[in-house]
Amino acid sequence: MTTSIQVLTAGESFRERVLAEAAGPGVPLGAYADADSLHYLFLREEGGPFVLTHRLGESLDASAVSGIWPVFSWDEREMAQDRGVCFEELPDARPLWAERGVMPEAMVAYGEGLMHFVVGPVHAGVIEPGRFTFSSGGETVVHLDAQLGYAHRGVERALEGRSTLANAPFVARICGSCSAARSFAYARALEILSGVEVSEPIDLARLVFAELERIYNHVGDLAASSSGAGWAVGFARGMALKEEAMRLNQIASGHRLLFDAIIPGGVSPATLTARLAIRAGVAALEERTERYVRDVFGNASLVSRWHGAGVVSHDTSRAFGATGPAHRASHGTVDVRTFAPYGAYCSLPIRVARASSGDAFARCQVKSAELTESFRLLREALAALGDAALPTVQPVSPAAGSVMTVIEGPRGAELVALRVGRDGTVERLHIISASYRNWPLVVRAMEGNIVPDFPLVNKSFNLCYACADR
Amino acid sequence: MSFRKSLGIRHLVCGSCNGCEHEVNALSNAYYDITQEGWDIVASPRHADVITVTGPMTQAMREAAEATLEAVPQPRIVVGIGDCATGEGPWSGSACAGNGAGIELRAEVIVRGCPPTPTEIRAGLAWAASLLHSKASTAPSIGSVAESGTNR
Repeated sequence: MTTSIQVLTAGESFRERVLAEAAGPGVPLGAYADADSLHYLFLREEGGPFVLTHRLGESLDASAVSGIWPVFSWDEREMAQDRGVCFEELPDARPLWAERGVMPEAMVAYGEGLMHFVVGPVHAGVIEPGRFTFSSGGETVVHLDAQLGYAHRGVERALEGRSTLANAPFVARICGSCSAARSFAYARALEILSGVEVSEPIDLARLVFAELERIYNHVGDLAASSSGAGWAVGFARGMALKEEAMRLNQIASGHRLLFDAIIPGGVSPATLTARLAIRAGVAALEERTERYVRDVFGNASLVSRWHGAGVVSHDTSRAFGATGPAHRASHGTVDVRTFAPYGAYCSLPIRVARASSGDAFARCQVKSAELTESFRLLREALAALGDAALPTVQPVSPAAGSVMTVIEGPRGAELVALRVGRDGTVERLHIISASYRNWPLVVRAMEGNIVPDFPLVNKSFNLCYACADR
Repeated sequence: MSFRKSLGIRHLVCGSCNGCEHEVNALSNAYYDITQEGWDIVASPRHADVITVTGPMTQAMREAAEATLEAVPQPRIVVGIGDCATGEGPWSGSACAGNGAGIELRAEVIVRGCPPTPTEIRAGLAWAASLLHSKASTAPSIGSVAESGTNR
C-alpha cells in the first residue's frame, strides 16, 4: 500500500488541516520533522498511511497541535528539542529528553498534604531506566511525571547517510522486544520503494515471526501482571512459558528474540527449516498457554486486583492516541492487521480482541484473547506453508522517495517513516513505536490510583523504553 | 554457615535494546533458576557482589550508572553483558552513546553476544564468582570489612 503524501504550502492553515484529519477519518500516529518540513502521520481505514507535510520557513516557526490533540505532545517536544522547530503554544515546553546528560525538572503537583518522591532512573528489577516522579496525598497518586530518554542513543541520526540495506540489522536492534515488527515495517518500506512484492510463502513466514513475537511478549506480560498483583505462582509459570516460547523462536528463526528473521526482500534463509519441530512446538505451547490463561483468570483474588486498576477511559485513550492492546482494552477498534492489512493478513483475517473497562483486567483480557488468535494464525500459516522450501530473498534496490509503513506489533502500531535519497542512502528515518505512543497513558492511568499499584498498572501495559527513547 | 558460594547480582541498564534484559530475566525462570547456585538478583546495589551492565552507555545514564556502581561495596566485580557493553554493538559511538557500559565501568568479566544466551551469562557469572572469591580472600580481614558495614 503506497503512502499518500499531501504537501501543504505555508499559506494554507496547516494546523486546521491536521486537527480536521485527527478528528475525522485518520487515526493519528504521530509527527516528526526533517531539515525543512513537518510531517504529521495518520492511518486511514482502507486508504492506508496518510502524511500531511508542511514546509517550514527559515525561522522554523510552527503552531503546536498538541494543545488540542495531546497525542502529538511528545512528538512536538521532540521536534523542538531534536530538530530546532519553534512551536507556538506548546503546552509542555520542556525538552523531552536529557540535554547533555541533564534531565529537566519533573512536573509536580503542589497542595496541602501532598508529597513528592522519585523512582529511577535505576530501578530495583531487571528493567530499563526511566524516572518517575510521583505527587501523592497519602497513598493516592495525584500526578505522575514519567521522564524517559535514558536509553536515547541517537539511533535515527546514526542511521542517516548510510545504505538502506546495511541498516536492516541495526533497525532490528533498536528494541529487543519488538524487533520482528520493526524489521517487518522496515523491510516493507524498502520493498515499496523498490517496487518489489514478496511471494505468498514469504508473507506467511513473516506472519509466523510476527505472531511468535506477540506470543512471547503477551505471555511475559501476563506473568508480569500476575507478579504486579503479588501472585508468585502465576509469575513463575508465566516466565517458564515465556522461556518455552523463546526456545520456539530459536527453533523457528535461529534467534531467541527473532532478530534478523525478517529482512528486506524476504526472510533470512536459515529460518523455518525444521517445520515438523515448529508445528509440534506450536501445538505444545498452545496447550500449555491455554491452561495457564485459564488458571490466571480463574484466580479470583488475582483478577479482583486487576479490576479497576489503572483505568483509561475511551476519551483519554483517543486523545492520547493509544495503540495496540491498550487502545483495544478501552473500547478501541483499531488493529492495524485488519484496519490497514498488509502481507498475509490480507487473506487471513483476524477477530479483533476488544474489551471496554480500560483497566488492567481489560488489558490482560485483550492480550489473552490475542494469544488464542495468534496460535490459530500460526497453525493456519504453518499448514499453508507445508514442508516446501521458502523462496530465496529477492534483490531490493530502493528508488529515491518517501514512504511510511505500519505493522501491528505486540504493543500496537510500529511505524517506520523513511526517505531515501538519489544515491540510495537513508536521508531520514523516523521510528514511532507503540511504547512511545502509550507511555503518556501509563501516566494518566495512575492518577487516582494508589502508589503500591504502580507496578501492576505499569506491567499491564508493559511498555519498552528502548524503542520509545531510540 | 558459609556464604562462600552466594552471589548478589545487581543489574544496571545503560541504554541496551532490552534484548539482554530478556536473557538476564530468564536466569530466574524455572529452566535456569540461578538460586540453585546460591545466586540471586538483588534490588539494591548495597546488597550486591556483582553488578551486571548492558548497553553502549548513554549520555543520560552516565551519572546514575557511576553512582550505582559506587554504591556496590568492595570487593565487587563488574560484568559487561552483550556486544553493546563491550563497545561492539550497533550504537557505539553514535551521537548520544558511549563506547560500551562494560568498558566505561571497568568490567572484569565480559559476556559477548547479541544478546548472549542465559547459559552464556551464567558462565560469565560463575567466572565472576571465582574472581570475587579470590578478591575476598585477599581482602584485609573479615573484621575490617564488617566495621565498614559492607558485609552482607
